[in-house]
Amino acid sequence: MNDLSPDKKERSKLAKWSRRGFIGAGVLAGGGLLIGIGVRPGNPVSALSPKVAGAGENLVNSWVKIGADNIVTAIVPHCEMGQGAHSVLAQMLADELDADWDKVRVQQAPTDGSYVVTDTARMFVAPFTMNAADWIEPTWNGLFTQIARMADAMITGGSSSIRTTGQHSMRIAGAAARGMLVGAAAQSWDVPADEITTENSTLIHKASGKSAPYAEFASAAAHQPMDQTPRLKTPDQYRLMGKSKARTDIPAKINGTAEFGIDSVPEGLDLSYAALVRPPVPGTKVVSMNAEQAKTMSGVLQILNMDNFVAVLADSYWQAQQAINTVQIEWSRSESPILTMDDQYAAFAAALDEAGEAGGDEAAKKGDAQGAFASAAKTIEAEYRVPFLAHAPMEPINCTAHVKDGKCDIWASTQVPLMARSGVAETLGLSADDVMVHHPYLGGGFGRRLGADEMSMAARVAAATGYPVKMIWSREEDTQKALYRCADLARMRAGLDESGKLVAFDHAFTQRHDPAEACVPAMYDIANTSVRVAPAELHLPFQAWRSVDHSQQGFFIESFIDEAAHEAGADPLEYRMEMLKGSAHHVAVLKKLAEISDWNGETAAGHAKGVAMVESFGTIVGEVIEVDMTSGKPRLVNAWAVCDAGYVMNPDGFKNQIEGGIVFGLTAAMYGELELEDGAIKQSNFHDYKMLRMDETPNIEVALINSGDVPVGGAGEPGLPPAAPAFTNAIFAATGKRLRTLPVAKQFA
Amino acid sequence: MHRKAIFAGGLLTISVTACGSAEQPEVVEQIVVREPGSPQVVASEASATVAGAVDLVAAGEDAFQSCTGCHSVNPDGRSASGPNLYGVMGREAGSLDGYSYSDAFAASEIVWDEASLDGFLADPTGYIPGSEMMAGAVPDGEARKAIIAYLSAQTDNAPGQ
Repeated sequence: MNDLSPDKKERSKLAKWSRRGFIGAGVLAGGGLLIGIGVRPGNPVSALSPKVAGAGENLVNSWVKIGADNIVTAIVPHCEMGQGAHSVLAQMLADELDADWDKVRVQQAPTDGSYVVTDTARMFVAPFTMNAADWIEPTWNGLFTQIARMADAMITGGSSSIRTTGQHSMRIAGAAARGMLVGAAAQSWDVPADEITTENSTLIHKASGKSAPYAEFASAAAHQPMDQTPRLKTPDQYRLMGKSKARTDIPAKINGTAEFGIDSVPEGLDLSYAALVRPPVPGTKVVSMNAEQAKTMSGVLQILNMDNFVAVLADSYWQAQQAINTVQIEWSRSESPILTMDDQYAAFAAALDEAGEAGGDEAAKKGDAQGAFASAAKTIEAEYRVPFLAHAPMEPINCTAHVKDGKCDIWASTQVPLMARSGVAETLGLSADDVMVHHPYLGGGFGRRLGADEMSMAARVAAATGYPVKMIWSREEDTQKALYRCADLARMRAGLDESGKLVAFDHAFTQRHDPAEACVPAMYDIANTSVRVAPAELHLPFQAWRSVDHSQQGFFIESFIDEAAHEAGADPLEYRMEMLKGSAHHVAVLKKLAEISDWNGETAAGHAKGVAMVESFGTIVGEVIEVDMTSGKPRLVNAWAVCDAGYVMNPDGFKNQIEGGIVFGLTAAMYGELELEDGAIKQSNFHDYKMLRMDETPNIEVALINSGDVPVGGAGEPGLPPAAPAFTNAIFAATGKRLRTLPVAKQFA
Repeated sequence: MHRKAIFAGGLLTISVTACGSAEQPEVVEQIVVREPGSPQVVASEASATVAGAVDLVAAGEDAFQSCTGCHSVNPDGRSASGPNLYGVMGREAGSLDGYSYSDAFAASEIVWDEASLDGFLADPTGYIPGSEMMAGAVPDGEARKAIIAYLSAQTDNAPGQ
């Protein structure tokens, strides 16, 4: 297929750019990059100290500092958006450092190239280097640090913080820092280093009876040689890892002192507030505006036509929003032929029609699917569709910006602070060094805060007015004019042999973003598989949405597997088990799932259970959902989940994320839908873009399997993909009605 | 618009859309009304009226400002979080086209008049259990009376309009 959308073309260009970056960095990296995992070239303590350490604090290496009060602070490069990563990353560092958990604090790393998430970038670019031998590790690490810096890779996403930065940076930083403290004490006490033990932030030399808090040697430790590949603890030695330690961010979030992006009131700045209106249809802009009424309204300072949006600046946000509501704006017309969802689905269907039974871009191929269909005893086919979805984070999108004397300060809740810095610098024509991005807590991200457009828009208004400006997107602006989980249409075929076994599987759809493997049912042993993409135009701009492609592919694949099981006359859980013969991990998850959900037990009249399993972001998650159909409308009763992430660092935090993923997934499955009217989004706020309420949420039970010694999988996203298909499969089990379209609720209205 | 992205081994693409300097949109029009901290120069007609208002409708308009976050009374205004209230008096509850009401609301069979609006505004979820109007109760009876007077005037067949 050469019919690539502009977005796809852009992506393939970027793929090449990255590849060049990879090679270029290799050259750049030659020579001086003898650095350890998680620590930086030359241990740049002196350069970093002024940025992260206060009076009486000594920076031991880039990721950890120790205060005169013996407080150990982990400096974490990921953002905290409710997922709990800050706390667990500190837990991992503190364990290797033998720190006293009660005296461990967490600090958000500043937006600085020294704090790129090397290992996150590395896992996504070259996972094969992740468990390299010690001798080559410093080279790989140096190389990927360079790449990450070039790519502004200070990112929180992909369910990756714990398994990349945690496992490959924080633990090593903790262990290296411990070694440096021991080295300093050994020198001072004149005893062999291996006779010194550590516990609760204290150095102990038993033979001489000497002991000292870490604080005493923190300064000297920074001058000790740093072990690039220190010995890490094994699970039997963990004191903090694997334990449900309470999150360090909870107290501030309970007592209200936690500061989110929207709370930013920079000291010494007298803020003005901006409300804005963007074009209702993507790609259009302002033709003219009439602001006569707004000019007369209370508190109004300025009204700006910014070409691709209109902003009103006032003394308060409320005044700005009231005034902008009265501005009459004429927008340019869009050339997009897509005005309604029918048009959008027709565009998908046309692309799939053109691809036919075997065309399109090949995403995966195994055996000879077309041949196998010819000899299959039975063939079933179905068409599935999913709508556009909004991220709808609770904290409204906002950005505070101040441009003065050729420098710009930004305060914003963002998942990508370094990219935001570059975006703002480019927008204002400044160098990145002249832009500082301050990023407090995020009130929810889900992918919505992976964009930097907002920061650039606020920076333009701040630059145009010269005032420090806090710009706030109304809920309607964010629901209707943001970036979205794509809608899509999938056509699936399954060929079964005489015994009902799945022998041929064909899956075609139009939207493929990430992860690339999301569309492939790789865990199942199907001899002939064909997965194809027929790219089609998407009316709304795409942005990764919790679990990205897995969010729709989980629904497509796990619903259709259920259809095959039904066609074979088999129990849907047993049917999956039969196809998993090659994978003990997946089988163990399903077995445990059958046990905790009492899969084979009796259910109440009108109730039924559905099952689905998806492996995403390294974690296998199987879910069973029980619905009650007695009222004629589905009511969610119970959800059971079994997860294998290899090793779970904080069981309570992990379960918390799985529960969140299930609720997020069920919310989307039950209600989530954005419709188009004249090319613009119809839904506007939580009244018509509904969330599951507490009384609609099922009881949730999560069980964890630690099948290994290290975390290989994430937690933030993997709970989501099985939720929708388990739900609709349960509805089928109860009613015989197969839902091939989401959302569910409107089909029972 | 300029797109910048990390393409990451086919596993994760995170793209950032930023306004590129080459195609940087200009500020097309900038209307400066006043400087921050300076007094309001242009007095709004509406606020002048409200300030000197003695009649109920004007007081109601003032009180209704706390409702405008969710409700419009503009004849052509779209429904926001709450339905458009233009012409609400005499309307059947849950009947405005294009607004998705709670089931409870639609089933209530209430026709809005002074008494029902008064009861509802005093305690929305008590008056119609299952109503999604979680905020916006008006406990002050005088304020309710004024709001109802104001809403009664927001119609194309009100006397004197």
